[in-house]
Amino acid sequence: MVQSAKPTANTWCPGCGDFGVLAAAKKALVDLKIPPHEAVLVGGIGCSGGIHNFIDVNGVHALHGRLLAQAIGLKLSNPQLTVIAAGGDGDGYAIGMGHFMHAFKKNASILYIVMNNETYGLTKGQASPTSRLGFEGNIEVPFDAILTALSIPTGAFVARTFSGDPKTMTAVLSEALQFNRDHRGYAFVEDLSPCVTYNDTFKEWREKIVNIEKLPGYDPTDRSAVFRLCTETMNAGKIPVGVMHRPGKPSDAASNPLELKLLPDMVGPARADIALEHNLPAYQKLLATAG
Amino acid sequence: MTTPATQTPSQAVEAVPAQRRTPQEISDVSVIVGGQGGDGTLTVVDLLGRYFRKRGLYVYTSRNTLSRIRGGHADASVRACRDSRAAIKAKADLLLAFDQEAIDVVRADLDPGALVLYDSTSFKADYPNSLGFPFATLVGGQLGQPIYKNTAAYGAIAVLMGFDDAVVRQVIEERFKRRGPEALDKNLKALELGRQAALAVPAAVNRWSLAEGDAHDLILTTGNQATALGFVVGGGRFFAGYPITPATEIMEYLMRYLPAYHGVVRQGEDELASINMVIGAATTGTRAMTSTSGPGLSLMTEGIGHAGTAELGILVADCQRVGPSTGQPTRHEQSDLAHLAHLGHGEFPKFILSPGSAEDCFYMTVDALNLAEKWRLPVLLLLDQALCQNASTVPAFDLSKVKVERPSLLTADQVAKQAEYKYYAFSPTGISPFAPVGTPGVTSQITGNEHDEWGHVSVNPVNRNKMMEKRMGKLIQARDELPRPRYFGHKEARIGLIGYGSTSGPILEAMDVLDAEGIVTKYLQARTLFPVQEESLGPFFDSVDLAFVVEHNYTGQLARLLREEMPRYHAKLRSILKYDGFSFRAPDIAGPIREAVHGTKR
Repeated sequence: MVQSAKPTANTWCPGCGDFGVLAAAKKALVDLKIPPHEAVLVGGIGCSGGIHNFIDVNGVHALHGRLLAQAIGLKLSNPQLTVIAAGGDGDGYAIGMGHFMHAFKKNASILYIVMNNETYGLTKGQASPTSRLGFEGNIEVPFDAILTALSIPTGAFVARTFSGDPKTMTAVLSEALQFNRDHRGYAFVEDLSPCVTYNDTFKEWREKIVNIEKLPGYDPTDRSAVFRLCTETMNAGKIPVGVMHRPGKPSDAASNPLELKLLPDMVGPARADIALEHNLPAYQKLLATAG
Repeated sequence: MTTPATQTPSQAVEAVPAQRRTPQEISDVSVIVGGQGGDGTLTVVDLLGRYFRKRGLYVYTSRNTLSRIRGGHADASVRACRDSRAAIKAKADLLLAFDQEAIDVVRADLDPGALVLYDSTSFKADYPNSLGFPFATLVGGQLGQPIYKNTAAYGAIAVLMGFDDAVVRQVIEERFKRRGPEALDKNLKALELGRQAALAVPAAVNRWSLAEGDAHDLILTTGNQATALGFVVGGGRFFAGYPITPATEIMEYLMRYLPAYHGVVRQGEDELASINMVIGAATTGTRAMTSTSGPGLSLMTEGIGHAGTAELGILVADCQRVGPSTGQPTRHEQSDLAHLAHLGHGEFPKFILSPGSAEDCFYMTVDALNLAEKWRLPVLLLLDQALCQNASTVPAFDLSKVKVERPSLLTADQVAKQAEYKYYAFSPTGISPFAPVGTPGVTSQITGNEHDEWGHVSVNPVNRNKMMEKRMGKLIQARDELPRPRYFGHKEARIGLIGYGSTSGPILEAMDVLDAEGIVTKYLQARTLFPVQEESLGPFFDSVDLAFVVEHNYTGQLARLLREEMPRYHAKLRSILKYDGFSFRAPDIAGPIREAVHGTKR
């Protein structure tokens, strides 16, 4: 057994919502029997982005807002890997917003977990893209990632979970990771993960969350029906959680996972044999096409 | 509907002496073809290029040398020469114009003895030495479609230049056979129409007699294509980029090339995504690259710094164009060096390599991939618009000169034999042998935070010092492996020139011009710009009285970098600068040197 990087001591505040995500991710990886070397956790910048330090898999600490691009590059280069990107709402919905939108289009089979605490915790409590009106003087309308995700017509798996309900979260993350491992495309999970220091919403959120799966008319293959249930729930002052989109079957027209198209043989760039002597005839043919 | 052919005279419009003249021997000819976008200017240049190559001549073609957007004007030029010349000829000998604007735009670039051949269908040329044929009407009347006018014009040029008929025809056959029998037939007919029209005018026949050359078995390629080919052969398997002139063709070539080799090309939503996808790919041990130009490079800067400190080997090609901001996207400049040499916030090691020809682009891209992976840092391939997009004849790429070396990479078997595996292990060279993410039995922590050997975040000052010294020390450790300069000219010369990238072509031509006047020079073609190669530059500076630094920018960025790193040579350096968006031509370089020499003598 070769000794390599081990998880470090956790640095989050006691009671932080992110502990729920960490525990659920660990359990899901164990349940799916994914060996540590085959899994990569790409962390963003912010408290939540340090999550890759606290779990026994490969860890990549990305630049602020760029975790999705790095995770997609990883996955497309080695499609055998299980790739999780995990960061906060500032990282994903502010500085990383461009990539947030395009990750749905790119549809690589990675899981993106956003730990939404409605604040910038690490820089001590400024308003974030999801902060409600009035929080720390916020005068901007809060962004809703689920409504946005539902409006993008792809075959992505979409869900919202709550750190106060680790059991459901583990089930959702397991399903999302299995979805990825079946190369069915992109999975996005927003976890409501309160910041106990700067925006402690545990109690409030526990009271406000509504499991959308229990509402009449719920159909996770019907994005417009779910969109409507979400807006109705929000209009009633509540917060919808649950699986928001689950494409019917892999052959759905909207489900066109990138790696199956790009990498039909699943060798991928990382495992390609680049030794010159093994490629000579092909290279000679290629060079003959020049000029 | 009547075709225009019945309404327009099909006779030649002449403004040249009517009698037959003795053919002028020419061994270096430049032809410009200009008109509106869609006139097929590139087709004519392509046909001429093919002909010249069959006659054993070196060829250099350029486009974008003039505005392509304004008024829809487009032009391209082709130079054919018995000597290898990777530069635009000082003055053109022949202009084929499809409208008056084409004449007006290039008027100053025409040789006093130049001829303007033009399509007289719709205008009469305002130029003293001109010859018009109604190409569009000729082919429109006979073939029903005026679009073959460019092939007819090629036929007329063939007569003017005394081309070999069989080879002229062969070029058409090769170019159009893939378009089907009808297209080939019509082009052959258009060719004949153009030829016959010209043959009917005595003054047009055999005005020039083009020398034959012995440059055979060459390929005609651009720096962008050569870079893309070098990337594949060098084991590059992942590319992400965002469209930007003049870098886009690298991505487009790789979209064609890479899938056959298990490679992936993705167009990012922006340059931030592109550089970070490349970084992600690099963590898996994949050789990965992006290409961009100034504006994109600005956006990628944070990512390049991240690769430097996270110790990920990546390749970034910067195809320089006129900046800052949007600048002149299709025009030529070398104004990113100052930015690159001092790239990013914080300090990290990187190599800046600069190939001096399309041929060099191919081999240096392979070297750059080897260096990036071995030394685990970002390598910047500094190109420029002229190098990227102008096509030149170069020797076919030779795979026996290529090596793919992976000394820093640990295989699963090698890792399994170790007691421990640290992604950032200290070592005498600063290189930590690495196992790509996914290697069985080990995990890695990869971060842009300052870290210890395990990749864990560290603010320990002793560790910080050691890590900085490990990373920055690579700049010294790697010195002997970086591409060395190439030397040209007279060893004993007391006048030196220094340049990089596409300036090599005009510099070498200027040296020949000066040589003929008795001014002997020598040239150091810089191929590694950072770290500055004092071990090569010092002796070169010591051996000359004056060193002219030739570059395309306002502030003399290379000269400033040399002064900064080697201040003792401050007084010897002179700058020859050009920042109007056009490439140097030989007189632009020969002129200031001639002045300096004669000034010294007085």
